[in-house]
Amino acid sequence: MTYFRALDPFPLESADHTKLHEFYTRLGAGRLSTTRCAKCGQTAWPPRGFCAECASDAFEWVDLPAEGTVHAFTVQDTGLPAGFSGPRVFAVVKVGGHRVFSILLDADPARVTLGQRVRLTPLAVAADPKGNPRWLPAFTPSA
Amino acid sequence: MKKVALVGAGVSKFGVRKASYRDLIWEAGKACFDSIPALKPKDLDGLVVGSVMPERTAFQSHISSLAAEALGIRPSALSARTEHMCASGTVGIRYAYAFIAAGLADLVMVLGVEKLNQPSGDEAILNMGTGVDREWEAAFGLTAPPCFALAAQRHMAAYGTTEEQLALVGVKNHTHAARNPNAHFNKGATLEQVLGSRMISSPLRLFMCSPITDGGAAVILASEDRARSLTDRPVWIRGTGQALDGFQLTSLHEDYAHWPALKRAADAAYRMAGITAADVDLAEVHDCFSIAEMIAYEELGFCKKGEAGAFAAAGRSDYGGDVVVNPRGGLIGCGHPLGATGVAQAAEVFAQLRAEAGPRQVPDAAIGLTHNNSGMGEHVVMIYGREPA
Repeated sequence: MTYFRALDPFPLESADHTKLHEFYTRLGAGRLSTTRCAKCGQTAWPPRGFCAECASDAFEWVDLPAEGTVHAFTVQDTGLPAGFSGPRVFAVVKVGGHRVFSILLDADPARVTLGQRVRLTPLAVAADPKGNPRWLPAFTPSA
Repeated sequence: MKKVALVGAGVSKFGVRKASYRDLIWEAGKACFDSIPALKPKDLDGLVVGSVMPERTAFQSHISSLAAEALGIRPSALSARTEHMCASGTVGIRYAYAFIAAGLADLVMVLGVEKLNQPSGDEAILNMGTGVDREWEAAFGLTAPPCFALAAQRHMAAYGTTEEQLALVGVKNHTHAARNPNAHFNKGATLEQVLGSRMISSPLRLFMCSPITDGGAAVILASEDRARSLTDRPVWIRGTGQALDGFQLTSLHEDYAHWPALKRAADAAYRMAGITAADVDLAEVHDCFSIAEMIAYEELGFCKKGEAGAFAAAGRSDYGGDVVVNPRGGLIGCGHPLGATGVAQAAEVFAQLRAEAGPRQVPDAAIGLTHNNSGMGEHVVMIYGREPA
């Protein structure tokens, strides 16, 4: 047996594993969405199955804009976890009034700027153990 | 509430250790009991262990009982483990403090221990990703350095803080660590070395960051009666505060150079202790990255918001300045074995307030503060005094 202790770094996204599976289904279709509390109407990021304002667990899905702006970023060159490599551009992206943490794909690290417009780009990562595709919400610089 | 004091403290050698998780528990326990020969393990009635990820690094849970057995402690009033990422040690001290202050325990060891280094260095870093949100942050490869880099970038943009000022904190803490035989690093560092070290996450370079470190630390807390009968130099807990701003990066204060939870935790601790920032002689602050120490100067009230760079450059956080910050070498110089860090900070204050810190001694130290955080949004502050509040 290969020596390992590490675990799968990605979330289990299917309906067997999370109440938030709809987020990932929509993401795979190119849509960025989040939850809105069905009781008090509070919209949250990231999506959540329990409202921090009114403690309701009833929620509905709403779409967010596919484009946002870079609120903060840093480029990590070294010291990344196993399975990830640098340079990697981490960014907080302002999308529809929410701050979304993500990475920038296909971005020249030297040319990223605050306020830069970026567009949702679903990133395919390793499939889950049953072979279901998995997606993370990444962004690329807008043309 | 009853008064509570530290009566013993000790730390293991910190570093990339050829030692098991249990070896580190033994070393910290031995150093702590050596500091108070009148006490034997069976005399204690409680144990709290701060440890973050032994499930990943030692494939081991059930930690408090393991440590109690390893050290011969037989808890009859309190046995618990605290996990609060990088602040686990200080959170453990608060638990023990509360039990003793409430009269539920009399004599409790708080042990912090972590064996972070693994046969594969990549895995050690992968494990650090457990401290941020797996689904919304760690899945992208996020660990601590980029988080604090965001704060550094914001501080530079808003207040003109320079890379050299960030580096000077690294120089100071590496220099202090050279006088601490238990520190991970003992060679010191020059400004040129810090500025020339490799980039981790812009603008934070290697020598502005704490390393991946193995280590253990232990302190013993006692009720007033027990403390006065055990030692003529107890170190009193005078104040404590803890506050949360947010867990995920996207729920923190929008300006990452502002850490309101640290100010709230500090204000609560100062109020309880009946002191102000100006009364603090030495502070062990959570310099996981140099920017963290600088923002701590501001939020703890040692200088005004935005002035941390000039404060560091003028030597006001060093020997001979306003307050000696991180005399043991901080997390940058000593290393950061997560659960052990907050306990090691307390052990340094214990030595300083008893005038036992040798070449690191802060002259006539009467008030010591510790600051331990878990990310930028969660902070714990303790205030200790030579005299009770």
